[in-house]
Order: sequence, then structure tokens, then C-alpha cells
Amino acid sequence: MDRDQMNMIVELMEVSFVLVETALYLNTHPNDERALRLHNNASTQYVQLEEMYQARYGPLKNTGMSRYPWAYIDEPWPWEINFNFN
Amino acid sequence: MWIYEKKLQYPVRVDTTNPTLAAMIIEQFGGADGELSAGLRYLTQRYTMPTSQGKATLTDIGTEECVPTGYQLKKKLPR
Repeated sequence: MDRDQMNMIVELMEVSFVLVETALYLNTHPNDERALRLHNNASTQYVQLEEMYQARYGPLKNTGMSRYPWAYIDEPWPWEINFNFN
Repeated sequence: MWIYEKKLQYPVRVDTTNPTLAAMIIEQFGGADGELSAGLRYLTQRYTMPTSQGKATLTDIGTEECVPTGYQLKKKLPR
């Protein structure tokens, strides 16, 4: 996995982590408009990032479209990525 | 319904080999009072939850608890 792909998947993971947290908070605070704005912004960003990532590097989910041959099985799988923490 | 995505929730850096810590983390995940059993408990309890907030929260935290952990850890353990 090259540096560009690594940066992109890390960004995707960061935004989706935000979404998990805002969604959990909103479950019990459905009228918090500020939190909802935060969630909706992250959601928009996530959709765009996900589309860009998958167009470049193949499907993240087995429901996604793929070039030939079927790219869902391509490595690395998430536990095989050597994240660079610098 | 669950959908797998080829990414981690959060990458974790493991820079030393520590089998004692690894055993603790594995116990915390799959052990007696671990996340796996908690997750299944939440996903079952949600069916008798009276409020929509409760149903949503149990569904989502039940899902979270089922996320497999220790990906990078596995690699560092002696076989």
C-alpha cells in the first residue's frame, strides 16, 4: 500500500470514527442541532472520501462495484496494513 | 444486518511485544465479562427496550462491541 492510499484510508477511518461518536450521542440527544450539524458535515465528507477511495483502490464493501477481476479480495486486509504513525 | 468494510475503526500502534498485556486485552474482548458477550447482550436487550432512544443506542453499541480488536497485536505475538 503506497503513501497516498494509506493517507486516504486513515482519513476515511478518522471521519467514520467521528460519525460513530456523533451518531451515538445523537441517539440520546436527537434535538441537539449543533451536534446534528457536526454529524451531517462529517457524513457529507465521508460520502465524498469513500467515493474517491473506492474509485481509486477498489471496493471497501462486497456490495461495491469492481473492475475486472473482482477487486474486493485484493490485499491488504485492514489487519495487514502497516500504519505509519509519524 | 451487518456489513463488513475493509478498514479499521481506529489504527493502534504496538511497538513492544507484551504477552501479559495481550492476554488481558483478549480476555477483555472475548472473556467472561468481555465486549463480545456484552455486545450480544445489548443486541438481545434492544428488543424489549421501551423507547426509541434505547433501541437505537443498544443496537449501535451492540454493534460496536462486536468489532474484532487486536489486529496489529496478533502480528507481534510469538507463535
